[in-house]
Amino acid sequence: MSDNGDVAHARSRGGLAAYQDARALVRLLQCSQCSRPLRTPVTLPCGNSVCRECLPQTHLRENISYPNAPDRHYGFQCPFPGCGEEHPLADCSVDVVLYKILESVAMEVSRSREASDNTPTALEEVMQWGDIPEDEKISAAAHARTLNGGRLVATFTFAELGELGYLSEVTYRSLSPTGDAYEELDKAFLERLREGAHKEVDCQVCYALLLDPVTTSCGHTFCRKCLVRVLDHAEHCPMCRRQLLIPASLARQPSNKTLSTLLYRLCPDIIEARAEAVRLDELGPPGGLDTPLFIVTLGFPSMPTFLHVFEPRYRLMIRRAMEGNGTFGIMMYNRLAAPQGDLGVTQFMQYGTLLRIVSVQMLPDGRSLIETRGISRFKVLEHGQRDGYTVGRVERVEDVSLTEEERLEAEETTAPISLDADAATQIDHLSTRQLLFIGIEFILKMQRNSAPWLHQRILDAYGGPPDDPASFPYWFASILPIDEEEKYKLLLTTSVRGRLKITASWIRRIESQRWYALTLNLMV
Amino acid sequence: MALPKRIVKETERLMAEPVPGISAVPHEDNLRYFDVTVEGPSQSPYEGGIFKLELFLPDDYPMTPPKIRFLTKIYHPNIDKLGRICLDVLKSNWSPALQIRTILLSIQALLGAPNPDDPLANDVAQHWKENQNAAIQTAREWTQQYAKPQ
Ligand SMILES: [Zn+2]
Ligand SMILES: [Zn+2]
Ligand SMILES: [Zn+2]
Ligand SMILES: [Zn+2]
Repeated sequence: MSDNGDVAHARSRGGLAAYQDARALVRLLQCSQCSRPLRTPVTLPCGNSVCRECLPQTHLRENISYPNAPDRHYGFQCPFPGCGEEHPLADCSVDVVLYKILESVAMEVSRSREASDNTPTALEEVMQWGDIPEDEKISAAAHARTLNGGRLVATFTFAELGELGYLSEVTYRSLSPTGDAYEELDKAFLERLREGAHKEVDCQVCYALLLDPVTTSCGHTFCRKCLVRVLDHAEHCPMCRRQLLIPASLARQPSNKTLSTLLYRLCPDIIEARAEAVRLDELGPPGGLDTPLFIVTLGFPSMPTFLHVFEPRYRLMIRRAMEGNGTFGIMMYNRLAAPQGDLGVTQFMQYGTLLRIVSVQMLPDGRSLIETRGISRFKVLEHGQRDGYTVGRVERVEDVSLTEEERLEAEETTAPISLDADAATQIDHLSTRQLLFIGIEFILKMQRNSAPWLHQRILDAYGGPPDDPASFPYWFASILPIDEEEKYKLLLTTSVRGRLKITASWIRRIESQRWYALTLNLMV
Repeated sequence: MALPKRIVKETERLMAEPVPGISAVPHEDNLRYFDVTVEGPSQSPYEGGIFKLELFLPDDYPMTPPKIRFLTKIYHPNIDKLGRICLDVLKSNWSPALQIRTILLSIQALLGAPNPDDPLANDVAQHWKENQNAAIQTAREWTQQYAKPQ
């Protein structure tokens, strides 16, 4: 590609070219308040940066009692248009990454200036009046200088001298006796700069170029995604261990504007490639291990499940689920270490339920309470790990067709039966409708007895008994206080009839007193 | 599953700029599992010994610290019989800004400065407190016996 092609390509992607965009490049590092290159830059909670010296006068903040830290008692009015908020002084620390970048740029500029004397360019400031009132325009006179080192170095020096207004444009005229525009100097300079600043702009958590950088109140910068994950595990800054007073909604914390613009203008291709890589990563691993699995308890289709999420790995899992299709699988522990089919003995039981997130209530400390609703049952075919939690390739567990359901009922209810048949065989001979009635009648009886597990509070959460035979067993299992291992059997069924036979057998056992004592115990 | 870029970079840097007296080599079939050797620091009872350790990077590394333990027997108040190490940066003071390199340096430093007031191996710590010279002598003997380079 020709040089001009390179420039056109960079600019078409939003990047800036060393020679053509020298003025704009220098502006990225200028303080909007004093117009000099940022000196000891401080990044404010709104994502804008100024020199520490350029912070406005502070005042005592009124009526503040929480968090009651002495350094939060002073604040200032933000000078940036579009913000104007009161920022506590405590939230405005020196921006370590910007500081190092500015330091390395200033050093490179002074080195280049010395190495290239007698490469004069005449610079002339062109004021951009913008909103400046008419009578103030006269007092501000445009500056002019002749400086060495090519456009970039000269423009930066111009700003260092305090003679280049933040908004001003610059006209350039090369004074080279040979007519050299010093374009090569600019290109080489920018290349050195990219190399020198490279290690400063890597995130210290993921070791890649900062993506959507967010700067903490202690002045340290991380990719937004990395910081969110850090906060899943700790409340302290990874760099300095200071407590991070960042709200649970880190998503709303503004990016570091100077840094993100700088990175994007200097290397749009790398930033875009990185964003794409992160996007792909969020999609999860290839090979179909695409269902995140929360190993904690049983869930049932069409029923609500309420979860308290506090473990860091599950916070991450839930956040990814919310950014994705809003679903995840829930499974119970394999408490008895029973073999799970082809999987062998796994930590979890092989069948689970896919849940959809209905609502999430974030608590200030990062924990969350989530309400979900069951969608469907599944069987885990293959499983693996992703960032500390389990993921699986799953297969939906479906009921048989309605005609098959009918065939089953007809076959079972008409089979010959002896008079002294056991309870299970008797249940086999009941019609599907009768099996449902056993459940409904049992509920009515328990309600008359004021069974605590039928308390209004529980009915408010799970609703009353559904008269749909397909979902009655799931409702029943959601509220009945019996062993989870027993309830788990429902997940393996493939017919409505099969499920109702299980619930009827529970009821028979409870009524035959074998479970009654136990159930009574649970009822108090 | 693909290895995170961070682990790739850390491994590359460990290979390109090794820490003097420390080596960490990943297993070919599991790049999260490292064979580590640490030379006993000079002026310490572990001088002259080469200690083998195993290091494993869990799935959620670097959010959680590496898991690491001594394979070579060592007589040290902060390292127990199973080779487990009592070191704050491996537990509550872990930070994702730390890395394999810094952790191994901390372990090497721990060999140079045993801390019997924060013991993991109680009997060793007791010995250290009651009769430091004798404890150091035992540590030297163990180094001779178990940590001699082949
Ligand atoms: Zn602001
Ligand atoms: Zn300033
Ligand atoms: Zn990062
Ligand atoms: Zn910090």
